[in-house]
Amino acid sequence: MLLIHCPYCKEKLPELEFEYAGQAHIARPENPAEQTDAEWRDYLFIRSNVRGDHAEQWRHSHGCGRYFNALRNTVSDKFIATYEIGQACPTSHAEGEENNEQLES
Amino acid sequence: MNNWRVDGKGRINRDKRVRFTFDGVSYQGYEGDTVASALLANGVHLMGRSFKYHRPRGPVTAGSEEPNALIGTSRSGAGRFEPNTRATVQELYEGLTTVSQNKWPSLNFDVGAVNDKLHKLFAAGFYYKTFMWPKSFWDKVYEPVIRASAGLGVSPTEPDADTYASRYLHTELLIVGAGPAGLAAALTAARNGTDVVLVDENRELGGSLLSEAPSAIDGKNTESWLAAVIAELEACDNVRIMTRATAIGYYHENMVGVAEKLTDHMENPPANAPRERMWRIRAQEVILAQGALERPLVFDGNDRPGVMMAGAAQTYLNRYGVKVGNAAVVVTSHDSAWYAAFDLADAGVKIPAIVDVRTTVNDYLQSEAQKRGISAKVGHSVTSVSGTKRVSGVKVGRISGDQHVTDIISIPCDAVLMSGGWTPSLHLFSHTKGSLHWDEENEVYLPGERTERCHIAGGGRGLWSQQAAFDDGVHAAQQALISLGQNAPGLSVDVDGDRAGSGIVMEELPSNDDKLAGRAFVDFQNDVTAKDIRLAVREGMLSIEHVKRFTTNGMATDQGKMSNMNGLKIAANELGRPTPKVGLTTFRPPYTPTTFGTFAGYHKDELFEVTRKTNIDGWAEENGAVFEPVSLWRRAWYYPKAGEDMHAAVARECRETRASVGMFDASTLGKIEVVGPDAAEFMNRMYTNPWTKLASGRCRYGLLLGEDGFIRDDGVIGRISEDRFHVTTTTGGAARVLTMMEHFLQTEWPDLDVWLTSTTEQWSTIALNGPNARKVLEPFVKGTDLSAEAFPHMALRECTVGSFEARLFRVSFTGELGFEVNVPSEHGRALWEMLYQEGKKYDICVYGTETMHVLRAEKGFIIVGQDTDGTVTPADAGLTWAIGKKKPDFVGKRSLTRPDMLLPKRKQLVGLLTEDPSVVLEEGAQIVETGDTAIPAKMLGHVTSSYWSEVLGRSIAMALIEGGFERNGTSIDIPMPGQTHRATVSGTVFYDPDGDRIKM
Amino acid sequence: MAFNSTVETLPAMGRFSLRCKRENTVAMSKALGFELPSSISETAQSGDMTALKLGPDEWMLTCPMEARSEIEKSLAAIYPDAVHSLTDISSREVSIRISGPEAEELLSTSCPRNLAELKSGRGVRTIFDSVQVILTREEQNQFRLDVWRSFVPHVMGLLTVAVAEFECGL
Repeated sequence: MLLIHCPYCKEKLPELEFEYAGQAHIARPENPAEQTDAEWRDYLFIRSNVRGDHAEQWRHSHGCGRYFNALRNTVSDKFIATYEIGQACPTSHAEGEENNEQLES
Repeated sequence: MNNWRVDGKGRINRDKRVRFTFDGVSYQGYEGDTVASALLANGVHLMGRSFKYHRPRGPVTAGSEEPNALIGTSRSGAGRFEPNTRATVQELYEGLTTVSQNKWPSLNFDVGAVNDKLHKLFAAGFYYKTFMWPKSFWDKVYEPVIRASAGLGVSPTEPDADTYASRYLHTELLIVGAGPAGLAAALTAARNGTDVVLVDENRELGGSLLSEAPSAIDGKNTESWLAAVIAELEACDNVRIMTRATAIGYYHENMVGVAEKLTDHMENPPANAPRERMWRIRAQEVILAQGALERPLVFDGNDRPGVMMAGAAQTYLNRYGVKVGNAAVVVTSHDSAWYAAFDLADAGVKIPAIVDVRTTVNDYLQSEAQKRGISAKVGHSVTSVSGTKRVSGVKVGRISGDQHVTDIISIPCDAVLMSGGWTPSLHLFSHTKGSLHWDEENEVYLPGERTERCHIAGGGRGLWSQQAAFDDGVHAAQQALISLGQNAPGLSVDVDGDRAGSGIVMEELPSNDDKLAGRAFVDFQNDVTAKDIRLAVREGMLSIEHVKRFTTNGMATDQGKMSNMNGLKIAANELGRPTPKVGLTTFRPPYTPTTFGTFAGYHKDELFEVTRKTNIDGWAEENGAVFEPVSLWRRAWYYPKAGEDMHAAVARECRETRASVGMFDASTLGKIEVVGPDAAEFMNRMYTNPWTKLASGRCRYGLLLGEDGFIRDDGVIGRISEDRFHVTTTTGGAARVLTMMEHFLQTEWPDLDVWLTSTTEQWSTIALNGPNARKVLEPFVKGTDLSAEAFPHMALRECTVGSFEARLFRVSFTGELGFEVNVPSEHGRALWEMLYQEGKKYDICVYGTETMHVLRAEKGFIIVGQDTDGTVTPADAGLTWAIGKKKPDFVGKRSLTRPDMLLPKRKQLVGLLTEDPSVVLEEGAQIVETGDTAIPAKMLGHVTSSYWSEVLGRSIAMALIEGGFERNGTSIDIPMPGQTHRATVSGTVFYDPDGDRIKM
Repeated sequence: MAFNSTVETLPAMGRFSLRCKRENTVAMSKALGFELPSSISETAQSGDMTALKLGPDEWMLTCPMEARSEIEKSLAAIYPDAVHSLTDISSREVSIRISGPEAEELLSTSCPRNLAELKSGRGVRTIFDSVQVILTREEQNQFRLDVWRSFVPHVMGLLTVAVAEFECGL
C-alpha cells in the first residue's frame, strides 16, 4: 500500500484515503463549441500511456477532499512529487533515479 | 513407544505428555512437538502420498518449507477441518486429530499408486498432450478424473467456523526472523531505544540456534544466552515480539503483511479468540533476517520416506530430541551436512557413511569423521535408494573422471540425510522488486539493488556461519539506525565452536543411468523429476518460465522453496547455458500458504461488507419487508401479506397506490447541497437544464451528462433560495455525482464561489403518492397551504411536518399526485409511523422498490443505469426537452454534435407491447427483426425494463433498439428458449399520457 | 491484562459544514466569536462550540442542538459581505466515543493511519475499514468517530468484535 503526500494536508498518508483521477494537465477547452470534432475527440479520449514518469490527478477523497497533481513513475510505482492543482509539473528526474528516491528522501 | 527420543536433547517439555491421533491411531508426544516431530518420535515417517504418482512420502524438512508432509487437521466442532496443513509446522496439543491425504483406501495401500508404475506415461506436459480432444470430454471426463486422482487435501465442505482479526502497526524498525542475525539486530536497536518489532514464524525465538547450538556464545551455553537475550528484549518497552507470525508479503513503502497464528496450538482457545491475525506493519526501516533454506540433492529415490534434509535431521535431534533413524547415510555437496552427521553420531545414531560428491573436503571434517568412526566417502555419489515406504539402503560408488560411477556397493540404512547447500531466503526481498545478482563463486542469487528501505542480514546474504550472522545483524541494525537518523553503538557477540563451511551446487548426482530414465525428484510436491525438466528443455522450453509452466516445477504450495534452484541448474545444464542466463521465476506473496480467513479478517457474515440502512429500515423489517441490495444499501423490495408471492404483492401495491395512496422510503436518494452566489451558474454548467430562471421554492428535473455526452445521472433539483439548491441523485449515483461535481469545481472552475455538501444522510425522505396523498399529509403540515393552487406540482417549501423541520417537495415518480417529505434523518421513522397511522383512514399501502419501478415504468420515467448503460444520449432516451437550448455550454454539450451522436441508427429508448399481453419479457432479452431466424441473428437491441402493469392489465416493457423511434408501430421479435415473442414498438408513456393525475 | 476501554454512541449534537475562501475566514471568525483554526486537523473551541479544520476551505462546527439557530443567524448576517456555505449536517453523522488505555490500539484494527501522529486535540477525515469517518483525538486516551448514520451499524459491529478480541487477551 502506497503512502501519498497530500500537498494540502502536508502529510504522507495511506493510499486508502486517496483515489486516482486520471491524467493531469488536460484543461477543458475554454470554448468547447469552437472545438473541431478532432480537437474535442483528443480532449475526451486521447491520453498518454507512459512507461516512466506520469503526471496525474489524485484526490485526497477520504481526507481533505482536495484534488491535486502527482508525478508518479509507472514502472516503480513511486511518487516523485505531489503538487497543488494549478501548479506547473515539476521536471522529471532522469531515468534510473527513481529506484533510490525513497531512500534519499 | 517413544523409543526414537534421545535423552537430554531437545526443547520439548518432557513433563507434559500430549496425546493425538494420526489416521485414527493414537500417539503420544510432548508439549513443544510438531506433528512431524512427534510422529517421527513414534517411528512414523510415512505421512502422505504425492500429488501425481501417489508415491509414499515422509517429511523432508522440519519447517514451513515442507513440500511432503501435508496433513488434514481437525479441531472440535463443525467447520474446523483444514487440509494441507504442514505437519512440520502444526504444533501438538492434547486431542489434536490429524489425517493423511491423497490416498485411497489407506495411506499404506493406495490404489492410485498405480500411477507410479505408469510414470512413463505421465511425463512433463502430459496433461497438455493427452487431454487435447475430443473437446466434449473436457468438462465431462478429463477434468473430473484429473481432479479426483491428482491433488492434495480435500476442501472443507462447511463454512469456516473460526474468526479472524486484523491490525495496523507502525514502527521504526521491523525485523523479520529471530535467528542469530535478527536477534543481534534487535539487541542493537533495542539498546538504542528504537521502536522495534521482531517477528518470527516459529513458536520460539532463536532460529538456527535452536537447531544447531555452538559450544558457547559470549561464554554462556546457547540455551542460557538465548534465554537472557529474550528476557532483555521482552523487558524493553520499545520492543514488540511476535512469534508464530509469518511475514507473508512485502508491499509498497515498507508495509509488511504478517500472518500471526493465535490459537492453532491451543487445546482450549479462550472464548472469542480469533484464529489468526493479519498485521499490516508499516516500518520506517526493515531488516530481513530470514536465513537460508537447505537444498535437496537430486538422485534416484531421493523422495523415499526416511530421506530428508541433513539440517532437518539436526533440527529434529537438537530441537525436538528425536532421532530420525538408527543408521543414517549422509549424502552432501556442502560442509554443513558433516556437522549434522557429527551431531547425530554424538547422539548415538549410527552413520554408516558420509558420501560427499566433491573431490576434496577439508582435513578438519575428515578427521572429525574419523574420530567418530564414520566412513568418509569423498568423491562418491548415491546412485539409488531402496525401500518404498521407508528407505532400507543406498547404493554408493566412486565418481570416475567421466562422471560415471564405479565400485558400487550397497549400504543398509533407515535414513538418508542430504544437503545440496543453502539457498538464501530472498522471497520477501523479491516482493519489493529488489534485484538479485548471481554470485558466480558460490552459485547463489544474492540481494542487489533495493527499492525499499530494507536491509538483508545473515544467511540471506550468503553468510553461512553463526558468528558471521551475528556480526551482520549488528551491522544491518546500525545501517537501519543511521537511515533513521539515529546513531547506535555496535555490539559484539562472540561465538565459540562456530561451524563455518562451504559447498558446491550440483545438478543430478552422477549415476550410470540415462538422465531421462531415473526417478530423481526436483519438486517433491508436484512430482517433477530431473527427467521432466530435461525433457521440457528438449521439447523447446528455453526459459525457466516456460520450463516451470510445462513441468509445474516450483508451482506447488512451497512455491519452489525446495525445487527452484535445482530445477534451474538442471535446465541450464541441459541448455548448455550459464545458470543466470536461464532466468529466475518470480516470488510472489504469500511466503507460505495462508488461510483465506486471515486475508478476510473481520469481513465475514454481517460484516462481510457494509450494509447501509435507513432510519425507516427497522420498521420495514418488523413489517415483513423483503429486501434487495441497492449499491451498499439494503432497501425494502416489497411487502408481502400472508399468502402473497412477489407478483401478487407488487400487483396489490401498484393497485392500491394508484387507487388511493401509497408510501415509500426514498431516504437512500443521494442529496447534495449546492450553496454560494455562483450556485445557479454552477448548476448551469453541470446539468443540461437551465437553472437561472428557476424560482426559489420551485424544482425541476435535472439531467447530468458526462463530458462524452452520455447520461450519467438524473434527479429532481429544488431551489431552496437564490444561493442554495437541494440536488437529488440516484441512490447508486450519489457519491459518483458529488465526485464529478467536485472534480469540475476544483480543477476547472476554482473561481466559482460555490460549495458542495453531501446531505444524503441528513434527511430521511418519505414519498407519498396517490390521489389521497394530500389528505394523509395535510394534518401534519403547519403553516403551508397544500392545495393544488398554492402548492402546485414541482413546488417545494421549508416547513414543519409533524413537529419536525422539513423540506417538502411536491414531486411524483409515479404519475400520481405526489409529495416527498424530507425530515432530519433521525426522525424518519417517527414521521413514517405518524403518516402510516393517518393513512390507514385511506387504506394506505406501503410499497417497496419493485412497485416504485413498475409505477415509474408505466409513466415512461427512466432509471439511469437500467434504461441507460453509459452509451445513451439525451436524444436516445427521448429527453431532448431537458436540454437548455440557449445555454452556451454545459458538461457534455459539445459531444452531442459529434458525428457518431447524430447517426440515425443509434439505439433509442422505446416502449414495447407484446402481442400476447400476458407475456412479461425478460429484462436483458435480445431483440431481432421479425422472422429473423438466422444464427446468429442481427441483434437490434435489448429489453431494459419489463413488468406486469396491474393498472393496464397487461405487460409493458422498455427497450433500446436501433432506429427505435422510426420503428414506432412496427413489430420486432424477441427470441427466447423454446419460443419467440412478438411485440409492437410504442412510445414509453403507457399510462395517463396527458399527465392529468399529477395535477390533482 | 484486563481490558479497560469503552465504546459508546453519543447523543445528538449540532453540526455544520462551513466552507469559505481564505479571505473571508477573518469575517467568519468575527461572526462566530472565535478564531477558526488555520491548519488542517486543528481544532478551536469557544464555550460549547468547536471548529475543526478538515480541508483548506472546510471546517466542521459543533455545538449543542439548540445553539444552531444562533450560529445560522450570525453567519447569515455577514453573507452579503463574506460569502460562504453553511450547511446543517447535525443528523448526517452519529458520534462514537472510544475511551480508555486501549483506545488507540482498538482503532488500529481498522484504521490505516499512524494514530500516534494524531495529537490530542486534533482531528482528521480518514477511513475506518472502508467507511469514511472524522476521527478526533479528544484526549490522549479518548477518540471520537463521526460516522455517517447508515454506516454506524457496520462501524459499531467492527468495534464490538474488536472489543471481544481485546477482552480475550490474545
